[in-house]
Amino acid sequence: MNTPNFCHRTRREFLWEAGAGFTGLAMAGLLTADKFFSASAATPFVNPLAPRQPHFTGNAKSVIFLFMYGGPSQVDTFDYKPELYKLDGKTIPVKTFGRGGKKNEGRVVGPKWTGKSYGQCGKWVSDLFPNLAGCVDDISFIHSMMADSPIHGSAMLQMNTGKVLSGSPCLGSWVNYGLGSVNENLPGFVVMLDPTGGPISGAKNWSSGYMPSSYQATIMRSAGDPILDLQRPETMSESSQRRFLDTLHEFNHEHQAPRADNSNLAARIASYEMAFKMQSSAPDAVDLSKETEATKELYGMNDKRTEDFGRRCLLARRLVESGVRFIQLYSGGAHNDDNWDAHGDLVKNHTHHAGRTDKPIAGLLKDLKQRGLLDSTLIIWGGEFGRQPTAEYASGTGRDHNAYGFTMWMAGGGIKGGTTVGETDELGGSAVTDRFHVKNLHATVLHQMGLDPDKLTYFYGGLDQKLVGVEGAEVMRKIVS
Amino acid sequence: MALPFLGGNAPRSIALALGLAVGLVTGQPLFAAEPSPVGLDFFERKVRPLLAEQCYSCHGPDKQKGDLRLDSPGAIRAGGEGGVVLVPGDPVKSRLVLAVSYQNPDLKMPPKQRLNARQVADLTEWVKLGAPMPAGEAPVAAGRKEFQITAKDRAHWAFQPVKRPVVPQMNDGISPIANPIDAFVLAELTAKNLAPNLTATPRELVRRAYYDLTGLPPTPADVETFLADTSPLAWEQMIDRLLDSPRYGEKWGRHWLDLVRFAESNSYERDGDKPHAWRFRDYVIRAFNSDKPYDRFLREQLAGDEIPNADLDAIIATGFYRLGIWDDEPADRELARFDSLDDIVATTSQVFLGLTVDCARCHHHKIDPIPQQDYYRMLSFFQNVNHYRNGGPTDEVRLFANSAEEAEHATHLREVERRRDELQGKLTEVEKLFRTRLAQGEKADTPLNRDLDELQFRYYRDTWERLPDFTLVKAEESGKVPSGLFDISLRTRDTAFGFVFEGSLIVPIEGDYTFHLDSDDGSRLSVDGRQVILYDGIHAGGEEKAATVRLRAGRLPIKLEYFQCQNGLGLKVGWSGPGFVRRALSPDGEPVRVTKVKTSARDFSQLIKSDGPRVLGAEQFANYQALKKELEQLKPERESGEKALVVSERGSTPLPTHLLGRGNPNLAGDVVEPGFIEVLNSPAPILPKPAADARTSGRRTVLANWIVSPGNQLTARVMVNRIWQHHFGRGLVRSASNFGTQGDRPTHPELLDWLASEFVARGWSMKAMHRLIMTSQTYRRASQGNAAALQADPTNDLFWRFDSRRLTAEEIRDSILAINGTLNLKMSGPSIFVDIPREVLAGQSVPGKGWGKSPPEEQARRSIYIKVKRSLRPPILESFDVAETDRSAPVRFATVQPTQALGMINGSFLNEQADLFAARLRREARDDVANQVRLGLQLVTARPPTDAEVQRSLALIAALRAKDNASVEVALKYFCLMALNLNELVYVD
Repeated sequence: MNTPNFCHRTRREFLWEAGAGFTGLAMAGLLTADKFFSASAATPFVNPLAPRQPHFTGNAKSVIFLFMYGGPSQVDTFDYKPELYKLDGKTIPVKTFGRGGKKNEGRVVGPKWTGKSYGQCGKWVSDLFPNLAGCVDDISFIHSMMADSPIHGSAMLQMNTGKVLSGSPCLGSWVNYGLGSVNENLPGFVVMLDPTGGPISGAKNWSSGYMPSSYQATIMRSAGDPILDLQRPETMSESSQRRFLDTLHEFNHEHQAPRADNSNLAARIASYEMAFKMQSSAPDAVDLSKETEATKELYGMNDKRTEDFGRRCLLARRLVESGVRFIQLYSGGAHNDDNWDAHGDLVKNHTHHAGRTDKPIAGLLKDLKQRGLLDSTLIIWGGEFGRQPTAEYASGTGRDHNAYGFTMWMAGGGIKGGTTVGETDELGGSAVTDRFHVKNLHATVLHQMGLDPDKLTYFYGGLDQKLVGVEGAEVMRKIVS
Repeated sequence: MALPFLGGNAPRSIALALGLAVGLVTGQPLFAAEPSPVGLDFFERKVRPLLAEQCYSCHGPDKQKGDLRLDSPGAIRAGGEGGVVLVPGDPVKSRLVLAVSYQNPDLKMPPKQRLNARQVADLTEWVKLGAPMPAGEAPVAAGRKEFQITAKDRAHWAFQPVKRPVVPQMNDGISPIANPIDAFVLAELTAKNLAPNLTATPRELVRRAYYDLTGLPPTPADVETFLADTSPLAWEQMIDRLLDSPRYGEKWGRHWLDLVRFAESNSYERDGDKPHAWRFRDYVIRAFNSDKPYDRFLREQLAGDEIPNADLDAIIATGFYRLGIWDDEPADRELARFDSLDDIVATTSQVFLGLTVDCARCHHHKIDPIPQQDYYRMLSFFQNVNHYRNGGPTDEVRLFANSAEEAEHATHLREVERRRDELQGKLTEVEKLFRTRLAQGEKADTPLNRDLDELQFRYYRDTWERLPDFTLVKAEESGKVPSGLFDISLRTRDTAFGFVFEGSLIVPIEGDYTFHLDSDDGSRLSVDGRQVILYDGIHAGGEEKAATVRLRAGRLPIKLEYFQCQNGLGLKVGWSGPGFVRRALSPDGEPVRVTKVKTSARDFSQLIKSDGPRVLGAEQFANYQALKKELEQLKPERESGEKALVVSERGSTPLPTHLLGRGNPNLAGDVVEPGFIEVLNSPAPILPKPAADARTSGRRTVLANWIVSPGNQLTARVMVNRIWQHHFGRGLVRSASNFGTQGDRPTHPELLDWLASEFVARGWSMKAMHRLIMTSQTYRRASQGNAAALQADPTNDLFWRFDSRRLTAEEIRDSILAINGTLNLKMSGPSIFVDIPREVLAGQSVPGKGWGKSPPEEQARRSIYIKVKRSLRPPILESFDVAETDRSAPVRFATVQPTQALGMINGSFLNEQADLFAARLRREARDDVANQVRLGLQLVTARPPTDAEVQRSLALIAALRAKDNASVEVALKYFCLMALNLNELVYVD
């Protein structure tokens, strides 16, 4: 437990910032219970990523952020706008702001899917999500999300870091900074990318910004070598490596003996043992051979279309079980129609992406629930923004970006299921009631994890930096149980 | 006074009663008149920050819940609607203590989150001490609009002038201390009764010195040479050799590049390359290697373009302004411009002055005495800087070695212009003839004159109500205008768009010309760099504007800017002049909707091409074609050369700078004039009055001169502290970029001031400071711990030892290359690309985009030459904590993580390097494995290995061979890999 002093700087952060001699303290949540370590270390080693006490008892222990990169259209998915169907093709005055700049009128593209009400709550869901529709009583829909930018680059940064400017830590970094990691053999912040590629701005979307790199995400792959450099070179067997590490340890141990007060040396010695263990534990975490066929089927892994996202959703559940704090899955990657960025043919684009994710996500929710994990796992669904009710081009169904109002949903982790908050106008273009900024979403995530968004600060650049910015942000109380 | 009792609000009344009762009964003044320095210090260090942190949000400038403010001693004394909150000396009766201790269920403060025990204890202790606070700080009126800088603010140590302290007269028991650094350090140690460590061993020292000055390990020969040198000056001479080595600039330049957020790409979606950014890196390396005086170094970066007769380096240095992040497609362009200026203010103030002036962008600085005005006063020095555009005339400049070369180039350009005018004259004559003949021979509706040439367009999509500064807007499309006219039919929609056309106007003879302009909506016509007609705002067409100007003959630059908001649209431009009546410069009538193809009949160049031979005859037409070709090839912009990324300004006269409410460009307030940080008490700046045609305002020079003036309290202190920091692992002031009131106090304030004054006295020579520091005993202490000292001073505040450190990311990579003998010491030039594993590239939206592949020998160059792409860093640098480049990075982290170990044992880079290392050992130690091992360990550790170490290594090789069936080569390679993983390599004593 660290005791915050002024600016909430712990002694460790202070030393980091000041570049003092005590610098080797950032072990990615992997050292605390290591016997090898405590036996060999001559000085007590305090792991800054050891589990930390939350500010208060939160509902959620882990987060799975299902990032619908590119920006799904709200009116075609969850935000039912009956009037909009009738206006299809009509040019009407409406203020929009997207990739194509600001406009004051546009041609309406009526929603391309019908839908119906589901569950006890009677929530309308479009036909794009037949499976997810069965889970609405566990979901809270927020129809009134707003962001500061309708441009992918800055909007992605804001959804991930709270700022449209590059250089700040991600939500997952903050959660790990605030709570530490309870697992010992896996990273605390994991990102799994779409097979088509990373999102634009690449690593900036999982960077720890001005925080140490211990808080940045580790990219995990669902096939092959799950983590970079986890695989031994071909000519090095496990026994060779053991021999290799034992010899290294003898050297390092001897080197450390007259420097017993230097905990960095002990930490680095320990880090090799942890790395050795990760080589078996990380593949275990991604090894689905112990999962039943029924489970795999639940996630849609038997269908080619849903196999990839289903596998990643199932991995996410396994990582949650292993205690990984924050897992982010990208639906969509690269550019254009490889993600939800439907500028051209909306029907083709959203059919493709919803089709690949609907069953896996529903499977994830059901599986977490049946295992009693949903209450402690916060699920977030959404993109960096939504889409406009009107067309971008003279012809076609493509919609431009829209940050004036869009839909996200959350489930589990103490979120009130079967609820809907906020509204957009009758066109579905701008949030009008209970408007929530990305910062409110971030505040809610921290709050559900037991962290006070106004108290979770990191001293940098002369300022107590917060995920929610200096002005702070309110938790979305209406969806919190 | 009785009212609260009647009000029935029990908790408040009780508390009030307590407070008042004491005051009335004792009849004593509630607060001691003269608090003790210890008490005041307690208040400033513990209490005021705590109040600021926990209480100001409700009881401060913005809100005054219960009419209570706690943000000044006066206000604290005054109390709130419930009366006083403090009874000095009596915590039990002080409402403040009562509230924070959460004893009364109705009086709990802060209401949401209880203070921790430490904080409550601090407040209680303070009240017990008599609640000492500075006298005279009156309650501040609401809003704190009139930011008052107090005597207390000015008294902060870093805001005091540097005074050269007297060096303590110390004696080491044998003789007086020669190096003043040691005298200052020893004085503190003696006062604390602590003995410093002995001097480190020569082997430790040589390794320490090499890494500190060059970032590279000494070779075994380097070590032996030093050990064999018995001269009393051996140490000094080695330091001189290292300072003279070009490797020095590569090591210390890197520290500076961290500070000025050096990167070669812009971040954001495209993370595009910054043009010529590598020249700035080379400039910094050259500056350190040539020991450029620090004041000159700063002056060049801030205003090198304004230094008279400056060399190329001074120009390249201004790339400083262009290194920050840049969003080519920001959601709010005006805000983005101020974000960019903020990057400059933040970097300038933190790096050069150790102040976080950027914290005052939206409001007064929360803790430091920096009013919001200070921020905008500083910003106004930079306000005239052209917004970054990632290249082009405002960001790039051609480099001339000397003024003769520049003059030659200018002459050449003038000649090109003259010849172009001449050619144009001839072409015009032929075209005139063509038209005349055509008109005679054919129907009268001959197509068009040819008044515009080389007309280019830029097309924008956005909504405006007035003409924007199009240079700040990203064009959707650009190119040549097919019709050669101001033609808005190139648009893709009918609302919310804009155009900028630029080209040449062909003026047949000198004379007065009248221009006609009508547009829906706004437009602006400029000829020869001068605005001719401005018809801005939203309006319909039909009210044509006209203006007459005198023009010289030739090809004059012409520019038309236009925007359309919504509803009707149109653009009509024409001109008339000597010898001709009105001719159109835009297509007639309402332009065709959404079409990009023009009818060829309208296009004069098409017509003359098809009908020229017939109308003019073959010979004349050939002549015409030749003239035309020559003209096309004579474009001034084709005269290229070496370029650099630089700053530029919008001319000599800056626009006014406004204070922006909450930092919001839409809330522009009072005009702010350039000025220096108020609390530093500098005389007001005297701004130059540059000639009207000057390229810059001269303001940046004024700022630079102030920063490097000897009287500046911060500049020298901040830089000597950074030099100290990179020798000792931490600055005398630990918060190296924050010397403000919430930064750390210097552990050795007098030493800091002595060094600062010495720095200036020695002509701001950085190499002199290295020599001074490294020849001290303090620098040469052993790094070992000892129980007594660790007990008394565990964080080595007193410098009883030299703190060992982990190598930086670059040092680790460069050392590996040096050890295996493949390090390529080639300096300077465009950056190199090292191999990045496919798995890492897969994180990009287009894998591999913006990342090239350099040949192997180039890849073996020092890490400082690796391309700095903001969104893609080589894993070995990334994992060992290379600086985050989006903002100034004063300190490197030195994390220890298992993922580093994975990369070091399994990663492709390390395994390749281990192979190369093994090859070197086979080459240099022949077939004797014991010799190979001995050499390998010596190269890694810079000392001869012990027999036990050799035996241990041989045992590893033997076991790999015997038990794991490894080949000779493989076994040696893994020994090499093991050696490269040793803590002894990665840590320096």
